[in-house]
Amino acid sequence: MHRVVNWLARASAIVGGIVLLALIVLTTLSILGRELSKLGHAMGEGSWLLALGVDEIKGTYELTEAGVAFAIFAFFPICQFHGQHATVDVFTAGLRGRALAGLKAFWEVVLAAVIVFITLRLYEGMLRYLGNGETTLFLQFPVWWAYGLSVGAAAIASLTAVYCAWARLAEAVTGRPRLVEH
Amino acid sequence: MDLLREIVQWLGLSRLELGFWSFPVLLGLIFLRAPIGLAMFLMGLLGWIFAMNGNPTPILAKLKSETYTTFSNYSLTIIPMFLLMGQFATLSGMSSALFKAAEGFLGHRRGGVAMAAVGACAGFGAICGSSLATAATMSRVALPELKRYGYSGGFSTATLAAGGTLGILIPPSVILVIYAIITEQNIAKLFLAAFIPGILAAIGYVITISIYVRLYPDAAGTRAAVPWAERWRALAETWPVLAIFGLVVGGIYAGWFTPTEGAAIGAAGTGLVALLGGNLTWRLLGEALVGTGKTTAMIFFIVLGASLYNNFLALSGAPQWLADYVLSQGFTPILVLSVILLFYLVFGCVMDSLSMILLTVPIFFPVISGLDFGMSAEHVAIWFGILVLIVVEVGLITPPVGMNLFIINAMDRSTPMTSTYKSVLFFVGSDIVRVILLVAFPAITLFLLPV
Repeated sequence: MHRVVNWLARASAIVGGIVLLALIVLTTLSILGRELSKLGHAMGEGSWLLALGVDEIKGTYELTEAGVAFAIFAFFPICQFHGQHATVDVFTAGLRGRALAGLKAFWEVVLAAVIVFITLRLYEGMLRYLGNGETTLFLQFPVWWAYGLSVGAAAIASLTAVYCAWARLAEAVTGRPRLVEH
Repeated sequence: MDLLREIVQWLGLSRLELGFWSFPVLLGLIFLRAPIGLAMFLMGLLGWIFAMNGNPTPILAKLKSETYTTFSNYSLTIIPMFLLMGQFATLSGMSSALFKAAEGFLGHRRGGVAMAAVGACAGFGAICGSSLATAATMSRVALPELKRYGYSGGFSTATLAAGGTLGILIPPSVILVIYAIITEQNIAKLFLAAFIPGILAAIGYVITISIYVRLYPDAAGTRAAVPWAERWRALAETWPVLAIFGLVVGGIYAGWFTPTEGAAIGAAGTGLVALLGGNLTWRLLGEALVGTGKTTAMIFFIVLGASLYNNFLALSGAPQWLADYVLSQGFTPILVLSVILLFYLVFGCVMDSLSMILLTVPIFFPVISGLDFGMSAEHVAIWFGILVLIVVEVGLITPPVGMNLFIINAMDRSTPMTSTYKSVLFFVGSDIVRVILLVAFPAITLFLLPV
């Protein structure tokens, strides 16, 4: 189970990262096209540059928004699996062994509940856009597609969160560490 | 649901009182080790329900789109892009090129290798928006060299920890992006305003080093000067840093592209440098993506929690009430500002800078913008942003939880933490002098901005 969740979290992060990379390339090409087209216009209406038809890539903005939202949801599992959520540790630094493990387990359970809750709300949001058929302004793709992708990533985040909560509980009960933190 | 309603009625608090009580409760949860984003999310959620007299329907409806809207916010998409740019920067090989160039020019002076480390950190900060990444990357290059030339352990680690904070002081800076979004300021202007204070920070650290080696002559060794031709050659090797920094910050400022587009170009450019330098293997690319992912998710969870909590705070009217109250008391503006900056200095010792900014700027900013500093509202906002950026970053190098100190000490096991603590206090002193200067002379910060 541990290895499956680990693999899933990594795979999810890498897919999110690839989407982010793709958006970076897309944005860079779009700006390049936009600047070249400006240059072409400056060279005059009949210039060869304009004849090539280079211009900015329309809809980059919308794809960036939808893609980054997906990527962020896809990044959640790896963050949680490695215990990377920011905490203030000084005031509980004096706690030892079981007490600290118990406290960590408690928050991990609450965190898992909230992530599952967020995922369910997001799913409801997707159903709403599925029902009203709203599309994005420029590319005209249905908004629920973007929501759907994010729901998929959030579902993996929920699964990871539930596993981490279980693992932390097991740590607190058995006193043996299971999850790495780095 | 009925139980909730009864609890709310039993408490009998007005919305304003709810707003005020929520803050200490939130801090309590955070101090009890609740993940910060989680604590803010919970308090925001409960706050909304309580403020609606126990009726959860409005907030449940809001949450259908709240997460997606926050994560797909175009201004915020700049954050993962800058984070990936920082990951690429660590793989670009620029850290050693920068250090070599700085060492060529400074290395032969007293304390020169440490000064070179600071200079290289400043250069690296221009392509990396994160202090931790700057500290870690530069340490890998500079620590062995400092050791080789006989610099003492604590002095070396303290120098690199302080130098690392330049990563976030010198634009691009993730914290400034967040500040710009909360306070609805222009990111390009904030980047520009951060430039001179960032350079001042580097100069301040160099002066600190030169004082330190005079007080403790044993702390630093000497090395031979490098021939001039070699210095220029080493400097020329660093051109990609200048090119990327100029293109990203200049291009955003000149309006060629939006900040997000600038971040995309910066990430693409830095990635290209890493690729052409032969440092970008598939495995390292995977690590860079995973590393970006961890930090991105951590930041956005806090952003989400903060957005919900601040939403509730605004609904309660508490920040506005506080602003009105402070104004009605007739305190001098400088006094109020000093108290706030002191608060950040103290809090920075226990909490990370990003959480602190997301948690407190929505409360303090209305207070500050209501005061009369004899400047335009925009200038006050930018000036305050830079001051806050500096004081929260001091927290990275102050005990007990200075993250930069931990990162570097983990890389240099032979130096005890206490000797790092002792040396780093000199750099903290330099930071405090700089804050006082910037408070006394706002023109230093605002000088580069057009009138």
